[in-house]
Amino acid sequence: MRHIISILLENEAGALSRVSGLFSARGYNIESLTVAPTDDPTVSRITVVTGGSEDVIEQIKNQLNKLVDVVKVLDLTADVHVEREILLLKLRDTDATQAVLDILTNEYAGIVVDHSNSTIVVEITGTYEKIDRAIQAVPNEVIHELVRSGALGITAGKTVLKLESM
Amino acid sequence: MQQALPIEDNGLKETAHPLAGTSMSGSDIIVQVLAQEGTDVIFGYSGGAILPTYDAVFRFNAETNESMPLIVPANEQGACFMASGFARASGKVGVVMVTSGPGATNTVTPVRDCMADSIPIVVISGQVPTPSIGSDGFQEAPIANIMGAVAKHIFLVTDAEKLEATLRTAFEIARTGRPGPVVVDIPKDVQNWEGVFQGRGQLLIRGYRERIQEIAEKVLSDEDCKSFFDAFEQSERPMIYAGGGVIKANAYAEVRAFADEFKIPVVTTLMGIGACDTMQPRSLHMLGMHGTAYANYAVDDCDFLIALGARFDDRVAAVPANFAPQAKFIAHFDIDPSEIHKVKTVDWHYIGLLPQALNKLLDFGVKQRKFSKDYTPWHEHIAELKSTYAMNYDKESSQIQPYAVIEEINKITKGRAVISTGVGQHQMWAAQYFDFKLPRLWLTSGSMGTMGFGLPAAIGAQFAKPNLVVVDIDGDASIRMNLGELETVTTYKLPIKVVVLNNLGDGMIKQWQKLFFKGRLSASDKSLHKKDFIKAAEADGYEYAVRLEDKEQITKVVKEFMAFDGPAFLEVMIDPDAGVYPMVGPGMSYEQMITGDYIPTRNANEIDTQTEVDSSEMF
Repeated sequence: MRHIISILLENEAGALSRVSGLFSARGYNIESLTVAPTDDPTVSRITVVTGGSEDVIEQIKNQLNKLVDVVKVLDLTADVHVEREILLLKLRDTDATQAVLDILTNEYAGIVVDHSNSTIVVEITGTYEKIDRAIQAVPNEVIHELVRSGALGITAGKTVLKLESM
Repeated sequence: MQQALPIEDNGLKETAHPLAGTSMSGSDIIVQVLAQEGTDVIFGYSGGAILPTYDAVFRFNAETNESMPLIVPANEQGACFMASGFARASGKVGVVMVTSGPGATNTVTPVRDCMADSIPIVVISGQVPTPSIGSDGFQEAPIANIMGAVAKHIFLVTDAEKLEATLRTAFEIARTGRPGPVVVDIPKDVQNWEGVFQGRGQLLIRGYRERIQEIAEKVLSDEDCKSFFDAFEQSERPMIYAGGGVIKANAYAEVRAFADEFKIPVVTTLMGIGACDTMQPRSLHMLGMHGTAYANYAVDDCDFLIALGARFDDRVAAVPANFAPQAKFIAHFDIDPSEIHKVKTVDWHYIGLLPQALNKLLDFGVKQRKFSKDYTPWHEHIAELKSTYAMNYDKESSQIQPYAVIEEINKITKGRAVISTGVGQHQMWAAQYFDFKLPRLWLTSGSMGTMGFGLPAAIGAQFAKPNLVVVDIDGDASIRMNLGELETVTTYKLPIKVVVLNNLGDGMIKQWQKLFFKGRLSASDKSLHKKDFIKAAEADGYEYAVRLEDKEQITKVVKEFMAFDGPAFLEVMIDPDAGVYPMVGPGMSYEQMITGDYIPTRNANEIDTQTEVDSSEMF
């Protein structure tokens, strides 16, 4: 099953490589991994999307908790949560493109963020399922390039993943 | 870099260090923290990037009557295994100091070995100056990246102001929770930096410290005790399965008290040897791939299994589903939450400190439960297993049998000497045939299985236990891996007894090749090699260096060897076909154990070992 795991990490050189190294060394799958600073400059936050049986997910959490740099681990999947990912889609500006743009802006709330001579960049935000569907809605010959941010996640409601909540 | 813990908040009520507030170099700070952490001895090899700190050690020793001697190996791998042997024998943190690049990379194997066996060491490695990091400088290697994958933790000190707190934190991480190796990589400019020595202070390591504290403060609840005894009460055939965690937790006294009170038989893992007195009737010695047949059969027969600091490793539970198949209830104690249900799903578990938990459980059982049960039939069954399936070997052979040599040494050491080993057949024979009355006497590379461990580990152990007899039981192939350390023994005049059981090659490899690869001895036979071990030992200054080739001479030679006052070397030309039995082959259950020609088997259907096993199962 797909799990979104959020990790608060000491903002330290090498800390990220130890987290990603743990996944590769123990054969855990990484579907996506994002990392960025938080409102506390001493910690950064990783959102990793992984998959596996409940036993494997339990192991992943336990193994993460053994890393000295890991401050806190939260499996968002266990809670009500919000998940978002950004897709930047570069389209070829051809005759077929306008119809595609209509679909992306109307059905996927896409925003045109760049329109150059022959290309258009559309930004779409949503769950990974929505991003997948948006990509499928575009014919291959129209896609010039695409990039996905990987998922971000946050719990809904009062539960928070912050230092104070420790 | 990590945030420093505000000094006033560190909760330590220590008296101020006499040098607190003094200005000194980073190198002097390193040495002062080592001394403060109780370092008795440093194992290491010098080099360009660590020169300032070697100088600081020299100056410190000149002022303190050599209170922190530097022990110099032939190779940094040796230094790190010495620290490992020191830590294993003493329970203290072993300290290694090496230079950058090759000095540090030579310690990768022992650092991983310490991680795999949960041994606390701190490795201080020099690094090229901070501005040169990443420039492919002379003797530069990305130690933080390399060690990050194998150590419990690695610090690269780039902020000299945090050097002192970082070092102290390294010791804390090494010894707390599940112990392990911590590497501190210190650029040369940080060593040369001048700053004020605080005398105290650690880094924040918030998540880690909180998790460790939570586990350390846990108390086994009455409900947990109750559910444990509810299951225990149903049991007719209880068994304790004690692992290396018992040794690390210094819980052997509590384990013995618990086993004695309720009359529970004990098997130990390779790493758990010494958790109980092997000469005690309820002790069944080692279980697993090369465990005693009676231990393995008893585990097959038990109906209640108590795993103490053991992790159902593949050498114990090759087929987890078939391990302890009749156990209706398995209880698992560990300090590491990730070990619970990792291999074998258990019915009851407790994550916390073992001595406290066992004391509570014992107290609950005796006082509240008034638990007392007569296990006489089970004890009789165990006694019968021990006599029927006793360890045995070819006593009629004209060739020297390795087991006989170990038995002869064991008659002299009587379970009170430190025994270290390399890896392979001799390691398993030593595990099977030596007695141990106490923990921390048996030093072996268990999880990593690093050949070459025995000699340097013996050296480290002799520094930890100067008054104990230290014997290195080695193999001709294993000792070759760190043969340079033969000289280290004589350099420091250590009275270590080095035994090489020479079977002209990689005996364990040959055994597997005979069993599973139709006897094709690919790259494992060394019978045509030219090494003269006696000349090698003599060249390194051993005044006692003897080759034993005559079976009739075993008793006499072993006696004079063990009695020799000083470093002694004994090469024994053993039967090159001697095997390690029993053997639970890869993918086999205990029931299918091969007991060899001299130990009876309970399994009527002999295993067809000539069939080539799926090579994916072979390790």
